[in-house]
Amino acid sequence: MNLVLIGLNHKTASVDLRECLAPPAGTLEELHHQALALPGVREVLLVSTCNRVEVLAVAEEAGEAQAGLEDWLAQGKPVARQDFQAALYRHQDQEAVRHLFRVAASLDSLVVGEPQILGQIKEAYRVAAEAGATRTVLNKLLHKTFQVAKRVRSETRIGGSAVSVSYAAVELAKKIFDELKGLKALLVGAGEMAELAAEHLLAQGVGEIIVANRTLERAVELTSRLGGGAAYSLEGLERALAQVDIVISSTGASQPVITWEMARRCLKARRGRPLFFIDIAVPRDVEPKVGELDGCFVYDMDDLTQVVEHNRAGRAGEAQAAEAIVAEEVVKFTAWLRSLSVIPTIAELTGKAEELRQAELARTLKDLGTLAPEQAEALERLTKSLVKKLLHDPIRFIRDQGHKSDEAQRTHLALARRVFSLSQDDQD
Amino acid sequence: MSTTLHWLTLAAYLLGTGVYLGFVIWQRRGLHAMGRAVLWAGLGLHTCALAAAWIETGALPALTLRQSLDLFSWALMAATLVVNLRLEIMVLGALSAPLCALLLMAAAVLPLPAAPPPALLKSTWIIIHVLSLLAGYGLLALTCLGGGLYLVQDGLIRKKRLGAVFKRLPSLTRLDSLGQQALVAGFCLLTVGLITGAVYAQITLGSYWRWHPKEVWSLVTWLCYAALLHTRLVQGWRGRRGAWLGVAAFAALMFTFVGVGLLYSGYHSFEALPTLTGPLP
Repeated sequence: MNLVLIGLNHKTASVDLRECLAPPAGTLEELHHQALALPGVREVLLVSTCNRVEVLAVAEEAGEAQAGLEDWLAQGKPVARQDFQAALYRHQDQEAVRHLFRVAASLDSLVVGEPQILGQIKEAYRVAAEAGATRTVLNKLLHKTFQVAKRVRSETRIGGSAVSVSYAAVELAKKIFDELKGLKALLVGAGEMAELAAEHLLAQGVGEIIVANRTLERAVELTSRLGGGAAYSLEGLERALAQVDIVISSTGASQPVITWEMARRCLKARRGRPLFFIDIAVPRDVEPKVGELDGCFVYDMDDLTQVVEHNRAGRAGEAQAAEAIVAEEVVKFTAWLRSLSVIPTIAELTGKAEELRQAELARTLKDLGTLAPEQAEALERLTKSLVKKLLHDPIRFIRDQGHKSDEAQRTHLALARRVFSLSQDDQD
Repeated sequence: MSTTLHWLTLAAYLLGTGVYLGFVIWQRRGLHAMGRAVLWAGLGLHTCALAAAWIETGALPALTLRQSLDLFSWALMAATLVVNLRLEIMVLGALSAPLCALLLMAAAVLPLPAAPPPALLKSTWIIIHVLSLLAGYGLLALTCLGGGLYLVQDGLIRKKRLGAVFKRLPSLTRLDSLGQQALVAGFCLLTVGLITGAVYAQITLGSYWRWHPKEVWSLVTWLCYAALLHTRLVQGWRGRRGAWLGVAAFAALMFTFVGVGLLYSGYHSFEALPTLTGPLP
């Protein structure tokens, strides 16, 4: 029995590719059934978030299942085959376990230490379990995964501080506005970086994003992608500014587009509600003097990077501690996984012995004629105890093979099966 | 009886201070829950102590400076705990608890009232007058504390010093709404307290208004808070400006509460109140 994991994430695949492969919501149960129907696949779990698409499976034979899953994942999707192949990572057994643990512990995230990923895996597991796609191995593996993630979170401070720029901006916004729910944000300029930050804000609960851009078309295009807020040209900037709480500016203008006078007039209209400027443009879009106004907070790219660096320095050590925990847990789990392969042999051996015992006992009872019930019972006890004691050492030998290397395990198990002449065919 | 309860209250507030300091340092929610429980227990003891004193003397214990500080400590703790039910500003307990403990200790070293309280000060009017004013003081003290914290947090964010203090303080919006809610409620209570005081003065002393320094300062304080409320609600003076004004107005309030009672003589001074018996000339 093998664990197989294939997938792609934000490091290996572009957004377009990930979007193509992400399963549409509502089809997940059906997809689990499809995957289970592939040859050799016994259990399966699909994890799909905005940063990753992964399939984890328990298979009888790793190579066959892996190839089958790859074909199935790409099937019917508008992606070039070699792009897909190049973006894919493939892990087996121990490495698959390690990968899953690292993902759940948020060591593989875009923002290392961000807490959402664990919830997403829990949700994926719930869907898979409801579809009947998980059994012994995946149930145990996923429960262990949740424990590991929890351990990493409680024993290291990896989730303690922010790492990426947008994450830092969100943390700051939370210290100004308390919560982002229902707030409005304005993008000044429609760059890619601003769009990413806006997506992050939306994910954190910001209610609406409006866009002001030099060309109105581009602004409209962007708002339609970000939930359909209003779009303005730069002439309407001041009007837009009066409505919002958070401003992300990223224009290529050589002069500041948001001046002190403009911000001051705005604040009056806002009746003292604070305004948070995140200026990621270089050269800057917001006049530095704006930051002196009561209720105005201006953070430019340098400020944010400083916050991030400050957090990152403390975090490198934490990530190492987290990796150590993951490594330790991987070893433990792999031991259990290996021990699984010896269980059929043990079951077969005890089954065979029990069968023999019952046959012999029946014959003897017939020969002895009528016995008192306690005499029959004594015979039953005697035979049971004989079988148990005789099998004790062989079973221990077989069980110990669970901790040996694959090679040793295979030869020793085969030997044991030959000694007790157990069937040879379903042994891998 | 009331003295024993008084010391038990002080012990609870000091313990609460310790637990809250632990919470501020280590940021464990369990410590916060524990500190809150200790402070609620302290407030219960404090209430019992005041009730016992009330029963012993037959009048609301608010005649001398000692009793007033004791009652103010009670009001501040009650306001802190009640406001925290709504706003969950956890760090507030770490400020209020030591303040209340200090007030209790200050009260303990001041002299006990010598004579039994006059019958004039046992009226329901007086009870409403004193309790609503003291509760108002407690809430307005929170406006001041919230304003102070706001200024600290605002300064940290502005100067981009996002260290340990920044992490431990609540968000600006939350501090601002603490200031505003405590201000609105405190101002209403202040108004009720002044009106009942004036009405009872008319009933017993013969006139609503005697231009006694305490009355004048009360009016000045009330006007300060009225202006504060107006600028905040109508003109939107929130944030730094609102916080500063909240702190400044509280200084005026404290002068009216403690300073005027000590500096000026007259019927409403801490010295004269316990012997007030009838209409003034």
